[in-house]
Amino acid sequence: MSSTFFKTIGIRLWTSALVLVGVSILIFCIARVIPGDPARIALGPNATQEQVELLRDRLHLNEPLPAQYFEFVRELFQGNLGVSLYTNRPVTTDIADTLPATLELVVFAGILMVAIGIPLGVLAARYRDKLTDNVVRLLSLLGVVTPTFVWAVFLMLVFAFYLEILPVAGRLSQGVDPPPDLTGFYTIDALLAGQWSTFWDALAHIILPATALAMTAIGQTARMTRANVAESYDTPYVEMAQAYGFSERRIASKYALRPAMIPSLTIMGLDFAAMLGGAFLVEAVFAWPGLARYGVETILHKDLNGIVGTVLVISAFFLIVNMLVDVAVAWLNPRIRLQKRWAG
Amino acid sequence: MRTLKYAVSAAALAVAVSLAPMAAEAQSVLRLDEVPVGELDPAKATDFVDTMLMFNAYDTLLLPAQGTGGLAPHLASDYTVDGNDFTFTLRDDINFESGNPLTADDVVYSYDRLIALGQGFSHLFRDHVASVEALDDHTVRFSLNAPYAPFLAALTRLQIVDSQAAIANSVEGDYGDNGDYGQAYLSANSAGTGAYNVTDHNPQELTLLARNDDYFLDIEDGAPDEVRLVYGLEGATVRTLMSRGEHDISSQWLAPEIIRALAERDDMHLFRESGTGGFYIKLNTQRAPLDDVHCRRALAHALDYDSVIQLIQITDEVAQGVPANGPLPAGMLGANPDLPVPTRDMDAAMAELQQCAYVPDEHTIEISWVAEVPLEERFALLMQANFQELGFNTEVVRVPWALFTERVTQVDTTPHIGQVYVRATTPDPDALIYNMYHSDVAGTWQSTEWLNDPEVDAMLEAGRSTIDQDERAQIYRDLGARLVELQPTIYAFDTQSVYVARDAVEAETLSGDGESSYSLDGANFMFRHMNVQ
Repeated sequence: MSSTFFKTIGIRLWTSALVLVGVSILIFCIARVIPGDPARIALGPNATQEQVELLRDRLHLNEPLPAQYFEFVRELFQGNLGVSLYTNRPVTTDIADTLPATLELVVFAGILMVAIGIPLGVLAARYRDKLTDNVVRLLSLLGVVTPTFVWAVFLMLVFAFYLEILPVAGRLSQGVDPPPDLTGFYTIDALLAGQWSTFWDALAHIILPATALAMTAIGQTARMTRANVAESYDTPYVEMAQAYGFSERRIASKYALRPAMIPSLTIMGLDFAAMLGGAFLVEAVFAWPGLARYGVETILHKDLNGIVGTVLVISAFFLIVNMLVDVAVAWLNPRIRLQKRWAG
Repeated sequence: MRTLKYAVSAAALAVAVSLAPMAAEAQSVLRLDEVPVGELDPAKATDFVDTMLMFNAYDTLLLPAQGTGGLAPHLASDYTVDGNDFTFTLRDDINFESGNPLTADDVVYSYDRLIALGQGFSHLFRDHVASVEALDDHTVRFSLNAPYAPFLAALTRLQIVDSQAAIANSVEGDYGDNGDYGQAYLSANSAGTGAYNVTDHNPQELTLLARNDDYFLDIEDGAPDEVRLVYGLEGATVRTLMSRGEHDISSQWLAPEIIRALAERDDMHLFRESGTGGFYIKLNTQRAPLDDVHCRRALAHALDYDSVIQLIQITDEVAQGVPANGPLPAGMLGANPDLPVPTRDMDAAMAELQQCAYVPDEHTIEISWVAEVPLEERFALLMQANFQELGFNTEVVRVPWALFTERVTQVDTTPHIGQVYVRATTPDPDALIYNMYHSDVAGTWQSTEWLNDPEVDAMLEAGRSTIDQDERAQIYRDLGARLVELQPTIYAFDTQSVYVARDAVEAETLSGDGESSYSLDGANFMFRHMNVQ
């Protein structure tokens, strides 16, 4: 890795920090213009006006917006995102409790997206305009146009309600204790602890929600990969490889797929990051105790600290994924790495 | 050989997976769900699910009496009333889950903590209680500022906390020597005398409770050893879980069609809880044309009450409400059985309309419904159809709850018609209707009528200051008649919470017959009264 590369990463980190500051200001203001008094909502319908005023004072809600933001930043630098009005717990505790569950779900969905979407796309491109291609295109279109919550309910109906072969709700079966907390990913923690039965149980629980969450991204990835690989197949270097008599597998994986992955990777990265925020419905249907669901509940309850905390975490995740995608693209395509613009 | 090894391993793991839950299920487990979040701190708990937690993990000086209405001694074995002083004698055989004995200091601490935090049900006491004093280890005195009849009922909302445990686990906070008043600890742990102790609590996901076999009262032999209270299950999820036998009692918030589908199964039955509140169609009495009582009465006569009930019907016998005849649900102190149950009567409606000072088609009536309660849209559309028959222009408006609570703070922005479910927070009529109809408290979600009637105000105040329960009952009966005459509200139905339960679960307090039930929503979920097979 060259010094230019690290300098570029440094610049990206700096701009990401600026983006986060911008996001925090924006969401801080937006959260406060949503209709409804957060103190009133938090205290419940029977609270007196006096109680409401007391809580407003405690939350600094009667102070000007800049003063409130300053207070928020001051607390943030002490690692404190405030107390959630929704759960009455520190927001950092809520996020620490829910983020690993969503990350595990998203990572599994991401694996499914790559493991199923790319091969399907390559297969369709290889057999372009034939039956295989048509079937893949139809399935991937179905994946894209069907809303995630429909997939969630459909999968639950088939595999949990009728066939009863997979669990319905939560991360573990009743009576199964969570593994020792190392990563927060139950599957990985169970493996690290050598708890095989817990691992299988956690795996069984994540299959349906991860599949439901991944369906749209699988369809999108398959369609995009097909288009890009099909384009590669028309290039002179692939024709030359075919003329040399290279095997179909070698042509597909090395000469057609690799350059085709460059544009796909950026979109897949965005799809992957978007799953974090978009997991709400899947988490709701499968009672998955994750951050996306927490984030939506905080909005509905006008939990100011919860909203800001959740949005900041999701934004940071977006930025990190984008940066990783940029690195991956550069790795795949040396021309990009060698271009001067990488230096900023 | 390697394949065989993998196959054997996989089979062993599959057996392990299937046996792990079975081993844990050797004890009886009750599984139910509610909407998040479950608030475990007694000084903050207010919602339905909080009430479930409170009445299992904690106890109060008095309890709603089972079946008969009124109140019964609980942690207090006895009490005396001397003017504005209420002196309670505590039982001397009660310990907290920590093993600490219950003393009068715990009562004082619990009260002081509730008032200091200023949340939860502190409003029931704040303006009425002058002081609370421990006279000795087992005697505590509450002194009131003035006669306040709902006080005893309010005590069913004062959960007694183990003061030693709370103090020992307090951390630095905003309350001087009391630190954080044990907030961090009590939001994650129970510290009560209840029949169940909380063993694990995540307010958004799950609360686990274990039976306290040292409880000072009898616990049913078949009461569950463990309770798993899950938060935030969707309707489809509950349906699937119950069909698979993996869930025992649904929440009351399931859509009627899901409850119906589950109830039709051979292995399910319904639980019911009623008598604590109603569904109120509130008319803004300060905005034309509803500032004319005749227009309000015309609307009340025009509503198709049978169709309202049909919309909440679960089975042929059970609905999520029963016809109401006034502001207080049947069975509550002061409910007036002599008032007629309203029915749709278009002749009477037209007769009232002719006495109204307004011409109907010159006015547009805004019928709002709360966005978070989709069922209200159906009620709104029914009202639209009914009221248009009188000649009124109508507009159905969807309003998110947060916006609704803001709009109702001004008379001009309060919709002509609002719909709300209101439940009494204590087993006392004052807790249900004072905040609806007294002119001093207009402008909240409960009082969108903006009623300003001196006679009603006087009766509400008399209901508070009259200690004799028979006299109070008569005051509220008269008040009910007066309110029906003024018609600030259309009394659509008394609410009845309906739950689906597996046949393996029995709960006499939720049978719906009223003989064993507590007159407070959520209190009927005392798990010590349940049987799980």
